[in-house]
Amino acid sequence: MVARDQSSWDKMPDMPAGHFVSGLVYTDPDIYRDESNKVFSKVWHFACHESEVPDKFDYRVFVLNGQSLFAIHGEDGVIRTFLNVCSHRGAKLLDQPSGNARSITCFYHRWAYNSQGSCTGIPRASGYDDVKKEAVGLREVRTECLHGLIFITLDDGASSLAQFIGPALDRFSDMLTGQPLEVFHYNQAVLECNWKAWHETNMDLYHEFMHVVLRQTQVNAMPMEDRKLIVFDGGHGGSGGDLKAAYDGYDGFAGRGGDVPPLPGMSATDFRFINLFPSTAIISRGTVVRIDTVTPIGPDKALLEMRGLGVKGEPVEHRRIRQKHHNQYWGPFGRNVPEDMVAAESCADSFRNQAGRYQIIARDEKMAGQDDAILRAFYSEWGRRVGRDPGAPVK
Amino acid sequence: MSDHDAIRALIGKSCLTLDDSDFESYLALCAPAYSYCVRVWSPELRKDMIWLEHDRDGMAGVFEALPEHLQRSGRLSRLATVATIEAIGTDQFDVVSKFVVHHTDVEGRTQTLAVGRYNDRVVRIDGVVLLSEREVALETRDLGIGLHVPL
Ligand code: FES
Ligand SMILES: [Fe+2]
Repeated sequence: MVARDQSSWDKMPDMPAGHFVSGLVYTDPDIYRDESNKVFSKVWHFACHESEVPDKFDYRVFVLNGQSLFAIHGEDGVIRTFLNVCSHRGAKLLDQPSGNARSITCFYHRWAYNSQGSCTGIPRASGYDDVKKEAVGLREVRTECLHGLIFITLDDGASSLAQFIGPALDRFSDMLTGQPLEVFHYNQAVLECNWKAWHETNMDLYHEFMHVVLRQTQVNAMPMEDRKLIVFDGGHGGSGGDLKAAYDGYDGFAGRGGDVPPLPGMSATDFRFINLFPSTAIISRGTVVRIDTVTPIGPDKALLEMRGLGVKGEPVEHRRIRQKHHNQYWGPFGRNVPEDMVAAESCADSFRNQAGRYQIIARDEKMAGQDDAILRAFYSEWGRRVGRDPGAPVK
Repeated sequence: MSDHDAIRALIGKSCLTLDDSDFESYLALCAPAYSYCVRVWSPELRKDMIWLEHDRDGMAGVFEALPEHLQRSGRLSRLATVATIEAIGTDQFDVVSKFVVHHTDVEGRTQTLAVGRYNDRVVRIDGVVLLSEREVALETRDLGIGLHVPL
């Protein structure tokens, strides 16, 4: 028999642990709650790039674990992050995604805060016997910056960002710091899938075959066995050496890269990526960088944020070309990312009502080609943190 | 037909032809020096962004490659209303239209996908009005799974 009956379909795959993942990881509400408490409340999470808050009092609002937060460039030059919640009665302090606020005044009863989170003003304060400004500052969230990337953690007791990332970003330091970079593209999309279904599209190299662009520019650009993949402690993983793209293979992409300087440490046809646990990917195609971050909204809904970065202060014509290079692959009208979104939502649809039971992540190409090692490293760390076996997460 | 009627028909046809994936007819509405871009204001970056930019050949290339690509299934429906037509000399016009794009999935369910404006430059060549520039000023910034086809 080739096709399977229900019991065979339901049966755990006959493979080593780690080579498959149960579909319940995408749908089970208890697992979702565990991820919120044990992953997203604990990890260092990419919030934004330093170029998004370049000047004193610049702020950037974002959401993690359903909580609104803002990073602000303080008067003293330090970038800090606070919950976007007024200490008085909980109103949201900042309602624009970004801006500049020398003083943050709550719209509701006009309590005011400064860029270091201190409460600086309470109208008619004499009416309170037991409320002192010193005791009602904002909730500060730990914030650290690495290579221009601003990370935050909701866990006051977490180890340092450097410990969390380890050497995973080392191969990106040239590119991210050799010249000051700047975000020129930002878009969000709410996806009808679990957050992991999106992030898997970044970790799964085997699906290159889905994208006609990658079939034509990548699969044949260098021998599969010459590719090097790498995984790190903590569930991070990416390219261990540069992959290559042959842009002439796709109509309209020919000559890509010859017309604008590549980023430091890269050639125009190099392709380099790293997936940071749990949900951020940094990808560079020679001339341009993409950073994407996915955060859960519900078991079945995820917020994807996409950023594109170029060189700060570069000539208008260079920026235009970099924008084009970004958009060719990664823009909302790109040749690549919309296809990944179709894939993420499609798989989610199968697992939603347990039609799909397991996904297979068993490719072993000795850390070359389209090895699934990055996916396995992710799920191993995921399992450690949520205290569940990804292959059998519900007893 | 008056200039205004001809321009309204041109904008209408630009929607119909894209809806029908009749790209040859769409390109026939475009002047040889056609340029197309999608511009979006980002309140996050407090900057304008360009999400797509092509000349006529680039647009033709996009259309040609479409069958190879994995796309959102279903159909798009573009509805544009011409709001203003301003003559620049005798053979050029600046035309602003409001548009809304609906998506109908394969089950026949329709949802609003995007709203915005077409800021068009229309030229008259040999008595025929043609699109010479189209800027799609998108108000909608979350396009869900995105698009391979221009709006
Ligand atoms: S809730 Fe902010 S001042 Fe009252
Ligand atoms: Fe992909």
